[in-house]
Amino acid sequence: MLRSVLASTFTSLLAVASARAGESTPDPALVATAEMEATLAKRPAVYLVLDPTRRVLEIRARGTVLDTIQLRGIELISQQPLFGGRHPVAPPMPAIWTVTDGPGDRDREVLEPESLRPAPKPDQDDSDAPSADAATPTPTPPPRETPSSYRATLGNGWDLWITEELPSQGRWGLFTAAVRDGLARLRGQGQDLPPAVTLAMTREDAQRLHHLLRSGTPILVASDIE
Amino acid sequence: MNAELEPLDVDLGAPRRRRWPVVLGILLAVAALLCCGSAAVLARVGRPYVARPYIATAASDTGDADPDRMVRRAALAEKEIDKVHPKGVYIVVDTYRNRLHLIDKGKEIRTAICSTGTGIVLRDPRNGRRWVFDTPMGERVVERKVQHPVWAKPDWAFIEDGYLPPKDASERFDNQSLGDYALYIGDGYIIHGTLFKSLLGRRVTHGCIRLGDEDLEFVYRHAPIGTRVYLY
Repeated sequence: MLRSVLASTFTSLLAVASARAGESTPDPALVATAEMEATLAKRPAVYLVLDPTRRVLEIRARGTVLDTIQLRGIELISQQPLFGGRHPVAPPMPAIWTVTDGPGDRDREVLEPESLRPAPKPDQDDSDAPSADAATPTPTPPPRETPSSYRATLGNGWDLWITEELPSQGRWGLFTAAVRDGLARLRGQGQDLPPAVTLAMTREDAQRLHHLLRSGTPILVASDIE
Repeated sequence: MNAELEPLDVDLGAPRRRRWPVVLGILLAVAALLCCGSAAVLARVGRPYVARPYIATAASDTGDADPDRMVRRAALAEKEIDKVHPKGVYIVVDTYRNRLHLIDKGKEIRTAICSTGTGIVLRDPRNGRRWVFDTPMGERVVERKVQHPVWAKPDWAFIEDGYLPPKDASERFDNQSLGDYALYIGDGYIIHGTLFKSLLGRRVTHGCIRLGDEDLEFVYRHAPIGTRVYLY
């Protein structure tokens, strides 16, 4: 894991930019990317960097790569009729997307004792405390299974969909999915979700990203950042 | 008369038997047509997920006509990032895997199993006040270090166990729970020891980072005040 931690890899963006443009003019996209990252790195918060070309999602803070997630795929997924659908235009890059509502905000367990009783004195034995009808000390909670497929809403009108597997795109798969969705719509259970930039990754990677996608998390999207 | 009574040489059951497969076939065909028709209608109504490769369009406002200005912009951005980039000793905490890494000049000098926040929300039944037991994300700084720390238990520590917070402050002090050392990283969050060693590696804390005794001592000795801590 520490290969990524130690990869404090803010590289010479200027050098990269210059080299790409034959030592004369830096690549405007790379300069813009560097400026965006500089803006994010000024703040103490963690930010994500999505590089569709390298198919990686990096967790960074202060320009340092803390961890790297290798992606299995990046797709634009939208709900379309089987025939005659219009695909939305991909969001431009480089750009900074911001999570406005994510699983890190929503998926929370809430504890609330039914009632409170006086605390025992530090040198007092608690054995005389009522046990049957009063609130009992909270046991260590068992670990909860973190979801591995979830959506976060982005400020640019798109969703970010994290999943283990991309939906089947074969003809039969699309047809059966259309029938299932049509049936759900007839029952009044159909959902029209915003188009999603979908990142496919391993189950564990999806789970460890879950808590980072919360309101305000910025995602820098750019190509060929190292 | 006898001739009239002779049975006819006609098998009345045969045509009936021959009709059944036809009728069955027709019924099956109708059922299949109905199924296909329904499926076609449903498929027409449905909106399945359709995927396309992500080919981004270039943002329009990234260019600059003046090459020298572009070089200056790039250099400035690089300088700004370099200014905030961690140097020397720093700590990285992975709150999903519950691992703490102590880094010195880009080399990892210690990895420790730790415990981090549960992410659970606790609500006070008296007034609805809530606490979120998250380990904070992002950069923090070791503000102070204490040997033999004493924990002044906050209200949530009582409420979580079903107790009313005591009015007498002296009833809040606990000189065992934090272990031998504490590194304070702001807003009440602490890197400290634990009595519950078997829970190391799990998300069981109220936001603090718990370490085993030896790892805590190592971190305490090697991370001076001002050490930056990166939590994700």
